[in-house]
Amino acid sequence: MITVRSVEVVFGPGTPLEKRALRGVDLQIPAGEFVTVIGSNGAGKSTLLGVLAGDVPVAGGSVAIDEVDVTAWPTPRRAGLVARVFQDPLAGSCATLTIEENMALAAARGGRRGFGRALDRRRREEFRARLAELGLGLENRLGDRMGLLSGGQRQAVSLLMATLAPSRILLLDEHTAALDPGTAGFVLDLTRRIVAEHGMTALMVTHSMRQALDLGTRTVMLHEGRVALDVAGAERAGMDVPDLLALFARSRGGEQIADDELLAG
Amino acid sequence: MSQIALLGAVELGLVYALVALGIYLSFRVLDFPDLTVDGSFPLGAAVAATLIVSGHDPWLATALAVIAGAASGVLTAVLAVRFGILHLLASILTMIALYSVTLRVMGRPNVAILTQDTVLTPFYGIGVTDAVARPLAVGIFVVAAALLVAAFLESGVGLAMRATGANPRMARAQGVPTGLMVGAGIAISNGLVALGGALFAQANGFADVTAGVGTIVVGLAAVIVGETVVRTRSILGALIGCVVGSILYRIAVQLALSADAVGLQASDLNLVTAVLVAAALVLPRIRRRRSAGRAAA
Repeated sequence: MITVRSVEVVFGPGTPLEKRALRGVDLQIPAGEFVTVIGSNGAGKSTLLGVLAGDVPVAGGSVAIDEVDVTAWPTPRRAGLVARVFQDPLAGSCATLTIEENMALAAARGGRRGFGRALDRRRREEFRARLAELGLGLENRLGDRMGLLSGGQRQAVSLLMATLAPSRILLLDEHTAALDPGTAGFVLDLTRRIVAEHGMTALMVTHSMRQALDLGTRTVMLHEGRVALDVAGAERAGMDVPDLLALFARSRGGEQIADDELLAG
Repeated sequence: MSQIALLGAVELGLVYALVALGIYLSFRVLDFPDLTVDGSFPLGAAVAATLIVSGHDPWLATALAVIAGAASGVLTAVLAVRFGILHLLASILTMIALYSVTLRVMGRPNVAILTQDTVLTPFYGIGVTDAVARPLAVGIFVVAAALLVAAFLESGVGLAMRATGANPRMARAQGVPTGLMVGAGIAISNGLVALGGALFAQANGFADVTAGVGTIVVGLAAVIVGETVVRTRSILGALIGCVVGSILYRIAVQLALSADAVGLQASDLNLVTAVLVAAALVLPRIRRRRSAGRAAA
């Protein structure tokens, strides 16, 4: 359960480059919902995810996860509640650490890290079994450095890492944008499977309206820092990309979307 | 090179192996170029020597030297992390400040340990010459330190520290308080360096405020030589590399200085070190550019 109340975000306040990235966003996401977030460049999608993760400080409003107000919590403190997969495959893991070390790091997310060995036989077997689920053959490469993996493999492991420790919400920030179409498809299927299996509350930012409607249970469109559209249930089930565009145009009083990227299937 | 000279080189190499372990932690694990060591090495020597000369237990003196070193590391980390001063500048500020602190601790530019017992004293009675006993004693400290650091870096907290250096954004997202990790790491690093200083003072019988000049470069030289000689992916292997690198570096310097044909003097040491480190940093880059050029052609 995520509750976002009139959140305002301003970048570079008081400077010539001042930008109001979010202008009073209200969002209520019940537990177990899978929300896809769309919007043109600069609409505030990634900012919203940053606000939820704790990376982006808010200028006003509040954020609560499971009724706990986390507005003032820094990122590490929220890590027990929030799991993330980044857009850049390099950002979500440590290239110089091995696959098993990255997994051990994620398995302790939100828990206590001690002075005992981070990896033992039991842990390795557990990680091996989880990696085998991916079907990428990574279960035989536990000791390989993460940097040796392809972008798709790294995103797949990042998704897996998000499930190693219990967390309340999963944030996916265009996590397939840097992948080739085939790999992106695989990672999306994996996303669907993992979110369903773990019953996570998920927010996925995407550039593709097609993806936004195909995945998840609810779609939110941001425009200039505000929620422009919010569709779910039966209304959303029958929708296609043109319907979504028409709905958006109506809500804006006839304004068309200029960003071509948004139209890309 | 005489046997005495060789043993002397090994002994000095082992003392600076502790510095190399500390620098491995700051430069390699945390990716935090920390120049505090030029101040924490003589500080460790000064604290240990002053306490020993004033009649305190040498083990207590050595322990307090380590704590003093760790505290200077914390100071650098606070300046850098809490107040956002560039890490290099933060460490230089601490280093400069420590020069005065070290002078205050000793009350004069140098202190001689003449007759007092040191942590090395028990080793002088085991039936070998002092020239053998000293590197042996220092070596035990080095082995213990390397094993402890390796065990730490393989632990849950150690893994979090390595992630802090490798990808701080990811580390924070995994719940690692990265600022705290930098502070702890730089503290341990300077604690090790101060231990090196304390042992240096006790093995050589004096502490001198100028002993810290170039500590960073010598330690970095040891780390780089070690990485070239010991090629490994394991943490313990990398730490062994630091120790081996430090000893090899000292032997190489001793050879260069003792070969009359080369015509080097002891005063050329810093120049030789700087050239060696610069070469070690530049050569891999040139090699990479060459192979990249070949691949393109």
